[in-house]
Amino acid sequence: MNRARSSAVVLGLVVSGITQTGCMEFEDPPEVELKTNVVDWREEIIYQILIDRFADGDWGNNFSIYPSAPGKWHGGDWKGVEQRLDYLDELGVTTLWISPVVKNVYTDAGFDAYHGYWAQDLTQPAPQFGDLAALQSLVKAAHARNIKVILDIVTNHMGQLFFYDINGNGQADDPLNQSVPGTPDVFKENEYDPTYDVRGVQAETSLGESGLAPVIFAHDPASNHMPPFPEILQNPLAYNRKGRTYNFDDPDQLLRGDFPGGLKDVNTELCPIRDAMVDAYTRWIELTDIDGFRIDTVKHVENGFWRHFTQKVRQRLAAKGKTNFFMFGEAFDGRDQLVGSFTKNGNDAPPPADELAKDNQCVTDGVPLTADMLDSVFYFPQQFQVIRDVFRYRGPTSNIQKLWTERTVNYGVTPAQGGAVNAAGQGISPQKLLVNFLDNHDVPRFLFTGAGMYPEDPIFGTPLALETRRKMLHNALLFLFTEEGIPCVYYGTEQDFQGGNDPGNREDLWTSGYDRAVPTFQWIRRLSELRRKYPALNKGDLQILWASDRTGPNDSDANVFAFERTGGDAGDSYAIVVINANIEKEGAPEFGGQPMQVGAAPGTVLVDVLNDGGPTYTVTNDGRLSVKLPPSSGAVLVPESQR
Amino acid sequence: MQSSRGAAPWCTVPDVRRSGPEFGPRRSRIHGVPLALLAAALCASPSLAAAQTEPTAEPKPPASEGAPPLADAPPAPPPGEASKPADPPPANDGQAPKRPDAGDVKPAAPKAEAPPAAEAPKADPPPPESGFFLGTYGRVGAATDFRKRAGRDADIVARGSRLDESPYVEIDVQRQDYWKATGTTTRAVITLGTSAPLFHYNADFNVRMAVRNLFLQANNVVTKGLSAWVGSRMYRGDDSYLLDFWPLDNLNTVGGGLRYDFANGRTFVAWHAGLNQPNTGFFRQTVARTPALNQVGATNVNILDRQKFITSLKASHIVNVGQTGGVKAVVYGELHDIPSGQRETEVKGTYDTLPADFGYVIGAQVGAFTGRDASHVNLFLRYAGGAAAYGEFGTPFQLAPDRTSAGARELWITLSGNWETGPLGLMAAAYFRSFRDASPALDFNDVDEGILMARPHFFLTEWGGIATELSYQAQQRGVRSQPQAEPGQPIPAPSADPVMGGLFRIGLVPFLNPAGKGSYSRPQLRLIYLLTHRDEGARSMYPKDDVFSIRQWEHFFGVGVEWWFNAQTTYGG
Repeated sequence: MNRARSSAVVLGLVVSGITQTGCMEFEDPPEVELKTNVVDWREEIIYQILIDRFADGDWGNNFSIYPSAPGKWHGGDWKGVEQRLDYLDELGVTTLWISPVVKNVYTDAGFDAYHGYWAQDLTQPAPQFGDLAALQSLVKAAHARNIKVILDIVTNHMGQLFFYDINGNGQADDPLNQSVPGTPDVFKENEYDPTYDVRGVQAETSLGESGLAPVIFAHDPASNHMPPFPEILQNPLAYNRKGRTYNFDDPDQLLRGDFPGGLKDVNTELCPIRDAMVDAYTRWIELTDIDGFRIDTVKHVENGFWRHFTQKVRQRLAAKGKTNFFMFGEAFDGRDQLVGSFTKNGNDAPPPADELAKDNQCVTDGVPLTADMLDSVFYFPQQFQVIRDVFRYRGPTSNIQKLWTERTVNYGVTPAQGGAVNAAGQGISPQKLLVNFLDNHDVPRFLFTGAGMYPEDPIFGTPLALETRRKMLHNALLFLFTEEGIPCVYYGTEQDFQGGNDPGNREDLWTSGYDRAVPTFQWIRRLSELRRKYPALNKGDLQILWASDRTGPNDSDANVFAFERTGGDAGDSYAIVVINANIEKEGAPEFGGQPMQVGAAPGTVLVDVLNDGGPTYTVTNDGRLSVKLPPSSGAVLVPESQR
Repeated sequence: MQSSRGAAPWCTVPDVRRSGPEFGPRRSRIHGVPLALLAAALCASPSLAAAQTEPTAEPKPPASEGAPPLADAPPAPPPGEASKPADPPPANDGQAPKRPDAGDVKPAAPKAEAPPAAEAPKADPPPPESGFFLGTYGRVGAATDFRKRAGRDADIVARGSRLDESPYVEIDVQRQDYWKATGTTTRAVITLGTSAPLFHYNADFNVRMAVRNLFLQANNVVTKGLSAWVGSRMYRGDDSYLLDFWPLDNLNTVGGGLRYDFANGRTFVAWHAGLNQPNTGFFRQTVARTPALNQVGATNVNILDRQKFITSLKASHIVNVGQTGGVKAVVYGELHDIPSGQRETEVKGTYDTLPADFGYVIGAQVGAFTGRDASHVNLFLRYAGGAAAYGEFGTPFQLAPDRTSAGARELWITLSGNWETGPLGLMAAAYFRSFRDASPALDFNDVDEGILMARPHFFLTEWGGIATELSYQAQQRGVRSQPQAEPGQPIPAPSADPVMGGLFRIGLVPFLNPAGKGSYSRPQLRLIYLLTHRDEGARSMYPKDDVFSIRQWEHFFGVGVEWWFNAQTTYGG
C-alpha cells in the first residue's frame, strides 16, 4: 500500500467516523414559529393522554419506574406518544390533551408525580417524559398529521414543596402531635398538610398559639422537593399559607386553602404572581407551538386571575402569530352554575366595576382587562347527570333536556375576545364549545363495575356482563360524538379499560398491545369518521327531538333520546341522532302512538349512516319520523341526498 | 460528566462511560526497557519452586532470542544497550543518567519506539533470571485552591491533565521462572491497586484495594515466539501519557490470550478473549429464595447472571527507519457480546427479558519514533459501536427502543507524542471524542469533546528543571441550558444549541528528577501550580452551589510525586 493510499484510508476512516457520529444540534430552535393550526375547535376530537401511561418510547428516561404499582412512575413519555401517532390517527382523534409537562416533585409520601400535577419548576420539562426537543418533536409530528395538542396546566397550586413549622422545631413532623391538655387527639395531621386556618396556619407551643407558622422549603434533590421556579415562587408570600381545605363550600377555603395532599395554594391575587404564571405557561407555547390549555382546578382560583391570565396569554400569543388558542378549564364539580361561571365573557355576567378596576391594577402593558375568561370548560355536570345517571344508571333522558336547558343560562353566550373562533373568524359561544367526556383520570371509567358504581348495590347487585356494558359504552360514545360541543375521549376507553377510582383508572395502555381490532376502537373510529364527515354533527345547531321521564318496562320511549342538528356553521347539513339507552328493551322516540316531530321536510328520506345496511326512514307528511331501536343502540340519520 | 464534582481533594469522579476499577489505575506504561533490565529488577530472589530449574546467572533480554516480550515486556533499548547485562538489583543508582529509562525506572518510550529485535546482538543471551520481583507505580499529592479549599481536578472532559489527579498506587508482585526443560519462561503477576483518599488525609483507617492483575504468562510455548497467558489482566497497548489513557485498546477482563512474535522481532499478532460482569443489575440480579428441601431461612439465587464476552485481535508491525528510529502501524478490533437474560420484575414471580446485545471496535494506530530521548508521536483512531461504545466495563444506558445498545457509537481520534533535545522537551497530546448513546434523541450523555495539551520541559540540570502545561479543552453535551430570568422579567428561552463549555489552563511545574533528566524520567517530585479559566458553558455543567459553577478562575497549588519502578510488565497488547 503506497503512502497516498494509506493516507486516503486514514482520512476515510476519520471522515466516516465523524460522519457516523454526526453533528450535535437540535432539530428545532428553542422558540418555534407560532401558527394557528385550528380552523374550528368544534371540528376537533380530543383524546386525553396521561403521558406516563400511554407509551414508553425512550428507556433512557425510565428513572425509578415501578410499573406494577398504580401510584408510581411507569415509564411513558413524549417519545412514546410520537411513536404511536399512527394509532391515534387511525382512531380518528384530532387533538391530544397531554398531561402536564413541567418538572414535578418526583415522589411524595410513597406516591409518584407520574400525573404531573405536583409542579416544582414551571420552567423545565419533566425529565421522566423527555426533554424540550422530545416535546417539540411530538408537537411537530402531531401537527404534520393535522393533530393538535393541548397542554394541561396548573396555576392554583404547586407540589408539596414546603412545610409549616408549627411547633418551631425546624423539622416536618408527621404526625404533628400537639400538646393539647387533656386530650390525646392529633388535630393537625402533619406539618406538610395541616388543616385550614382562616388566619393562616398558626404556630403553636404548649402555651398556645404564637403567630403565623414559618414556612420552610424542603431540600431533597433525590425526590425533587426543591425550592420552586420561577424564582418568585420561592417567596413565602407567593402562597396563601392557610393549610388544607376541608370545606369546599367555604369560599375562602376553596380559593385560598391548600389542595388536599399538601399542594401549596399559590397566592394568585398578587400581580407579580399573575404575571409569572402568564409568562411561565405562555412560554411553553412559544417553545412548542402547542394549540391550547386545559387548565386544572379553575374553581380554586379567583375570577380576577382568570381574566388576567386568559387575556394576557391570548394577547401575547396573538402578537406572535397564534390565534384561536383554546383554553378550557376543569372544575371537578357537578354544580352547573359554578362550572359555567368561568365561561361568562363580555357582558354575560360582568364583574363589579371595582373588582375589574382592582384586576387592572396588575396590568402593566396598557391593555386593560375586560370581563373575558375561558373559552370553555370541562362539562363535569353532564358527566354526573347524563353520562352517569342516564347512560350508566339508566335514568330518564329528560335529565339531558333539563341540563341542556340550563346551559343557556348557566354558561356564557359571548365568546372571549381573541378566543376560539369559527372558520370565518367569528367568535364561538362557550355554550357551543363545552368539552364533553364520559370519564377521565379523576373519575372511574365508564366500564367500571366496582363499589359505588353500576349496579347501584355493590353488595347484592351482580355486575353487568362486559358485553352489555360495552354496548352501553358505545351508546354513550355515540352521544358524546354527536352532541353539541367537543368530544373528549380518555385514553384506554378504546381498549375497554375498566379501572375504578384514581389510580385504578390510570392503566398502562401498552398492556392492550395497541390493538386496533377491538370493537370499541373500531366504534370510536367510526364515530370519528361520521363526525368529521357530516358538518351537522360538529357545528350544527341542536334541537332536542325527544326526551322522556319514562323508564318503565312498558314505556315505548323509556330511556330514549333524540335530537337533530343543522344550521349554524353547518349550513344545510342535517342529521338526526336517536339513542335507546335502555339495555333490556326496544325503544322508539314515540309515545301513545305518536312519533317524534322532526325538522326535516316531509318526504325526506333519511338513511342510518351509523349502522351498516341500516334501514331508511321517510319523514311523514305531518313531519314525523318513526324509528325503532334495539336495546342499547342508536342511529345517525342523514338525508339520503347528503349521504 | 467526567470532571470532579465533589469536594473531596484530588478526587476524580469516574467517567460514566468507564466506571469502576478501570478508571483507577492511571499510569503510563512506556515501553523501552529490555527484559534484561527487568530481570535484574528490584528484589530479585531465588527460586522457590521445587520443580524448576536453577536460574541462570546471566539473564538475557528476550528480544534478543526472538521471544515475545514477557508479559508486555518493553521493547529493547537502542542497539548497544540491548546486549548490556542487567545491573543487579536494586539498580536505582542513577548510573545511566542520559537515559530516561535508566536503571529500573519505568521505561521511557512506548512500544512504538522499540527498535527491531533483529538488530540485537546475534549471540544467544542468557535465559531470564528466575525469582521474585517487586514493582510499583504511584502518585501522591496535596494541593489547595488558594481559597482554603482542597485542590481539585478541574477537567470537564473525560481525559484531561494528570497533574491534578488523585493519589493512586499499584504494587506488583511477580514470579518469573525459566524452565530449562522446555525453554519456556513463565511469569505470574499479581497487581494490587488502591486509590485516594489516604489515611493521613482523612483519618479513615480503611482502604479499598482491587486485585488488578492475577495471571500467568508463558513465553516460548510450543514454539519460539508464541506466548500464552491466562488470568485477570490489564490488557493494553500504547498510552497517551499526558492524558493518562489508552486511546486504542484498554481492556480489563478475566480470560486468556495468545501472542505470536515473528522472528523479525518487529511484528506480532495478539489475540485475547475474556469475560467480565460489572456489578450492576444489567448483568446480574440476585434474589432471595426459600432454600431447597424444606430448609428454614433464605438463600440467594441469581436470576440474571450474564457476562460480557470480549475478544480482541491486534496486529502490529514496525518499519525501521535509520539506526534507531522506526514507524509503527497497528490495526485493532474488538467484539463484545452480551447474551440475553431474564430479570424478575418488581412483581415477584414475574420476569422480563433483557435482549442480547452486541458491540464492536475497529481501530488503528500509526506512530513514529526516533529511538533516542523517548521522542515519538502516535496517532490513534478508534471507533466503537453498540455495546462496545460504553467501554468494556460499561453498563449500557439510554438504550434504543428495542432495549439494546444498537446505535450507540463512540469515536476517538487521539494524537500523542514527545520530543526531546538537549535541555528541552515537549510532550503534547490532543484528542477528539464523540459519543452518542443508543437513545436516538440527544441527551445529556451525548458528548462531543476534545482537548489540546502541551507540556514543555526545560531541564535546568540533570536533576531537575521546570515544566509548563498549557491546555484548552471543550465539551458539548446534548442538552440545552436554561438562562436564569431576571426578577420580574420574562423567562428566557433555553439556548438554541447544545450546551458547550471550555476551559483554558496554564501550569508551572518545577520538578526534581533523581533518576536524571528526561520527560519520562521517574520518580519525579513536583511543585505544581495550575491556573484555570472556565467559561460560562463550563460553569453551567456544575450543579448549583458547586464553586466550579461560580468561579471563572481556578487555582491549584500543591506538591506531587510520581514514580514507577518495574511496574509496567503487565500489558499484553
